[in-house]
Amino acid sequence: MVYSKQKLVTNALLYTLLIIGAVITVFPFLYMVSTSLKGPVYVFEYPPRFMPPEPTLHNFVVAWTSKRFDRYFLNSVLVTISTTLLVVLFSSMMAFAFARLKFVFKRPLFYGIMIFMMMPAMTLIVPQFMLASTLNLLNSLSGLVLVYVAQNLPLSTFLLTGFLEQVPRELEEAARIDGASSWTIYWRIMLPLCKPALATAAIFSSLGAWDEYPWALTVLNDPLKRTLPVGIAAFHGVFYSDWGLVFAASLIAIAPIITLFILLQRYFIKGAISGAIKG
Amino acid sequence: MRKKILAIIAPLILMALLLTACAPGATPTVGPSPTPVVVKETVVVEPTLAPAGPVTITFWHTYNEVSPENEMLVETLIPMFEEQHPNIKVESLPVPWEDFRRKLLTSISGGVAPDLARLDIIWVPEFADVGALTALDEAMSDFDQYKDAVFPGPLSSNYWAGHYYGLPLDTNTKVWLHNQEMYDAAGITEPPQTMDDLVGQCEAIKKVNPDAYLFAADGTWAWVTLPWIWSFGGDITDLDVTKASGYLNGPKTVAAYEFWLEMYNKGCFAPVILGSGIDPWSGFAQDLYASIDNGPWMYPIFEAQFPDKELHASLFPAGDGGSINVVGGEDIVLFKQSEHPEEAMEFIRFVLSPQYQLKMAEVGQLPVRLDLIESDYIKNHPYCGIFLEQLRTSKSRTAHPAWQKMDEIITNAGQLILRGEKMAQEALDDAAAQIDALLEQ
Repeated sequence: MVYSKQKLVTNALLYTLLIIGAVITVFPFLYMVSTSLKGPVYVFEYPPRFMPPEPTLHNFVVAWTSKRFDRYFLNSVLVTISTTLLVVLFSSMMAFAFARLKFVFKRPLFYGIMIFMMMPAMTLIVPQFMLASTLNLLNSLSGLVLVYVAQNLPLSTFLLTGFLEQVPRELEEAARIDGASSWTIYWRIMLPLCKPALATAAIFSSLGAWDEYPWALTVLNDPLKRTLPVGIAAFHGVFYSDWGLVFAASLIAIAPIITLFILLQRYFIKGAISGAIKG
Repeated sequence: MRKKILAIIAPLILMALLLTACAPGATPTVGPSPTPVVVKETVVVEPTLAPAGPVTITFWHTYNEVSPENEMLVETLIPMFEEQHPNIKVESLPVPWEDFRRKLLTSISGGVAPDLARLDIIWVPEFADVGALTALDEAMSDFDQYKDAVFPGPLSSNYWAGHYYGLPLDTNTKVWLHNQEMYDAAGITEPPQTMDDLVGQCEAIKKVNPDAYLFAADGTWAWVTLPWIWSFGGDITDLDVTKASGYLNGPKTVAAYEFWLEMYNKGCFAPVILGSGIDPWSGFAQDLYASIDNGPWMYPIFEAQFPDKELHASLFPAGDGGSINVVGGEDIVLFKQSEHPEEAMEFIRFVLSPQYQLKMAEVGQLPVRLDLIESDYIKNHPYCGIFLEQLRTSKSRTAHPAWQKMDEIITNAGQLILRGEKMAQEALDDAAAQIDALLEQ
């Protein structure tokens, strides 16, 4: 009896905290939705009204039909899908090697990769730019993909290595006795087993590629090759921004990522936790 | 198991296929195709066929992509230029203002700067100082002709270490804009002539609505504070930009800041100066702020956003130093890395032509050509006149490569004073010492 009462109090406290947290997280987002439905006259109304007085989809229509928005969207989709597939493929191979194979300089290599995970992308922008310029990777979407893959590999490798180390060694040994090669073990046994971690890696890397702004802005000079974040930023002016339009455009941009997250969500939780425990 | 993986991957692949199918000829993302390499090599192999096809020059600027200015540039003016010069193609790239400086600096260090850029006048010395810009007075044989055709103030923003590194493209300044409805309610009959008028006006406004403010500005940066400093008779540095001590902390500048503090504490200046509350122009539109000082770009914005609200313009209120506001605007510059400087200079000549300048004036960009002041278009223009009159006394911000840092120091000093953390004299003494150190480098 005492125990359950205590549990009740703890739960109540926990849920209150969670609800407060949820409201704090969701509120700005709802406000964004509300602003995107407002006509320009109401955006800066004071005091602000949460429910738009004359809700309109006008901003969404303007954003979508504005110059080249669909092209930016398509560019972002292509870049994100390519990046995600490559990151998942390469990072799972690397993780398999780090978790399962024995080779010289394994630890230094692993930590070397981890160091790049902790480096802020902004500090690398000039040297990276000069390298990309020499390799003729500027101003092209494939160049963008290459850099995004490099940027997202360390985190995914880290997550997947943690996960793969937990897979019982017996499974691998059994397969080897049956004559399986390393490739077969990786492709047939390890990959199907670490789906949750793969889903997590996929979400992180697609988010990384979909949202990336400074690098895309710096290297893309052809307006037709711009990705969504760069395209949306061009809606801002020096002295004036049409916030209804900016928010409507941002909401269109967020939609695919939210869809992806919902699709992969149940894997995501498992994957994130397993990475955390193993460290 | 397999079905589940399929369920995840299939829509992704489907989406990819569908989208690629929708856009034939879209740029391939992965896998380097060998074709472009071959094309490039053939070009290199035959250098004897010199400028056969049209030459492409790039022009970077910060017009908002969905703005009337950008539309005018891309839809009307560039096609006009290309028609006049069939051998030149112009590629225009709008870049968000906040990131423009960084993108330019990175591109310069990577060796891929554009041919031309429209730079905020205050950035020209910095880019000239790092050696990125071509000195136009040396490169253009007919430079003097253009130099004599434009306003001297905006022209001077291109001057650095003995040379002109660009030409003015458009100019602007700020004037006093007042809210007629609030003036009427408070019984104010005319805009302020002097700083002293402001004190009385504030009392009248507060009597009608204690929550209203006489004036609002969006920060303590130099763009906002300089008109006050100059109109009070103060300055940031001496004329040759060698020291700030005796100027930024001189009695006139201190008096300007003390006036600000007094007005702020009395509730005459809105708290948005320190970042809280509603921003100046939307508060103005909602009858919270009775006046702002702002530029000609406000007219198209108000027309679109607040069609019921009229802007009434007058000269900035005068102090001991007169009525002085700050010159803004942009210059056009040519980068040393340009591979087609001759063609690029042809475009510079075009943007300085009366034709181009008048077209841009239609979308709120004040022209820089002296001869246009007398044109019918400008004479009959609803609001250009007052800005051109204010421009007669307006001054440029300090031309120096370290301006960005100086501006930060000025911004911080203003915040410390308004928050009451430091006395005006003390905060400005510190700021002057910091700027002195910058100027010595």
